[in-house]
Amino acid sequence: MTRFERFIYQHLHGLRRATQLLAVVFIFLVPLLNRWGVNDILGTFYSIRIGNLDIVDPALVLQTILLTKEIYFPLLLAGFIPLVITLFFGKVFCSWICPFNLLAEFAEKIRKKIRPSLVRLPHHNPKGHHYWLIYGSILTFVAVFGVPLISLISMPGLITGQVADWLYIGTIGFEILFVPAILIIEIFFAPRFWCKYACPVGATLALLRAKSTLRIKFDPPKCTYAQTRRLPCQEACPLNLNPMKAKDLYPYCFNCGECVNACRVEGQALNFTLQPVETLTAVQLGEKLVS
Amino acid sequence: MLMELLRKVATIHYPLRPPGAVPEDEFEDKCIRCRRCEEVCPYDSIKMAHGEWGLKMGTPYIYARDIPCYLCMKCPQVCPTGALQPITDKREVRMGVAKIDTTTCLPYGGILCRACYERCPIYREAIILKDELYPEVVPEKCVGCGICENVCPNDPPSIIVFSAHQPGGS
Repeated sequence: MTRFERFIYQHLHGLRRATQLLAVVFIFLVPLLNRWGVNDILGTFYSIRIGNLDIVDPALVLQTILLTKEIYFPLLLAGFIPLVITLFFGKVFCSWICPFNLLAEFAEKIRKKIRPSLVRLPHHNPKGHHYWLIYGSILTFVAVFGVPLISLISMPGLITGQVADWLYIGTIGFEILFVPAILIIEIFFAPRFWCKYACPVGATLALLRAKSTLRIKFDPPKCTYAQTRRLPCQEACPLNLNPMKAKDLYPYCFNCGECVNACRVEGQALNFTLQPVETLTAVQLGEKLVS
Repeated sequence: MLMELLRKVATIHYPLRPPGAVPEDEFEDKCIRCRRCEEVCPYDSIKMAHGEWGLKMGTPYIYARDIPCYLCMKCPQVCPTGALQPITDKREVRMGVAKIDTTTCLPYGGILCRACYERCPIYREAIILKDELYPEVVPEKCVGCGICENVCPNDPPSIIVFSAHQPGGS
């Protein structure tokens, strides 16, 4: 491992928090800049325009195609940048930018204090088909009933849209209460259910996963769990997943890097890798080690 | 009174949309609620529908009596989905059509008033003066910007813009 890699791995948490805070600054700054007459950056996390460059949430590109049953080329083109980022890095929008994830991570901290018994170590990774079933139902609902459901329940869009309305024209809608409602459910009943299962924005990004998309790799021989009986990676996972079963982390894992950051073993038992899953070795061994 | 009631019903089902908007049903499907049109509007004409509008929440609308559309034509250019068609000529805009209530309109009652006629951005074409006195709307030319509704000295206004997309609206 190079020194650069080591530096990145050790500071992943700080880097991520910094990016998340920048995103928060961004969503407050854009409406204010427009208020002051600077129109170079427009929009919310539904869709952003920087200069003449359009960026649209791929979930909404898909929704518009399902609703209008036709393809509007500029819109398709605008979905290209998030698509490329996601093909390389996975659902990093969720973990590094989405303001709802930031709120939900803090809600999860509260949950760990007041309702610690809701989740116990070791964590287990839910089966992928739960995720696709929920996402499939949302898409079917959109197509059958012709309701723009993804726009209505997109958390990053809802939050940034309301911030924009509030800062730009001074109104705020009661639909913003949807956000605290979800957070309260997450704290008291279903930890992190929104990002983990329900969010159609994240699911569309998870759909874009290719063979060599950035993924978590687990190196069982390096893991010191057998000696120390400690699971720092699982404690660190904001989605309560088990990084030691790296094979079935996806589509749930959003590559936040907290487990890689928490794994302080010499030479890192947990790594980010761009290699296809087939070339990974000893995944089976790792599973035996944990169970 | 009747006009005011009509307007209320009309705005809930068929609000005045920003310039270049496609027909209402299509608009609801195409608009992804991204707020770009709201943020680019220099006059704050474009407001955002909230939860009380039901499924229309997050879509842009214009309430002309508050702030009408001044046809700067910035918003059609920034729409990413084509919900607002990228038109540039303000004469091509068909947001709605103004209707005059001749029972309350001042000139029809014998009081001289040219407020709407003089402020109309499609000057002397969309609103004409019949017999040099009585304002009349030319529906083929009216763009529906709502400036007339905004400047009408009567309250409720005697000239009201109805969305072009409501049945029988245009």
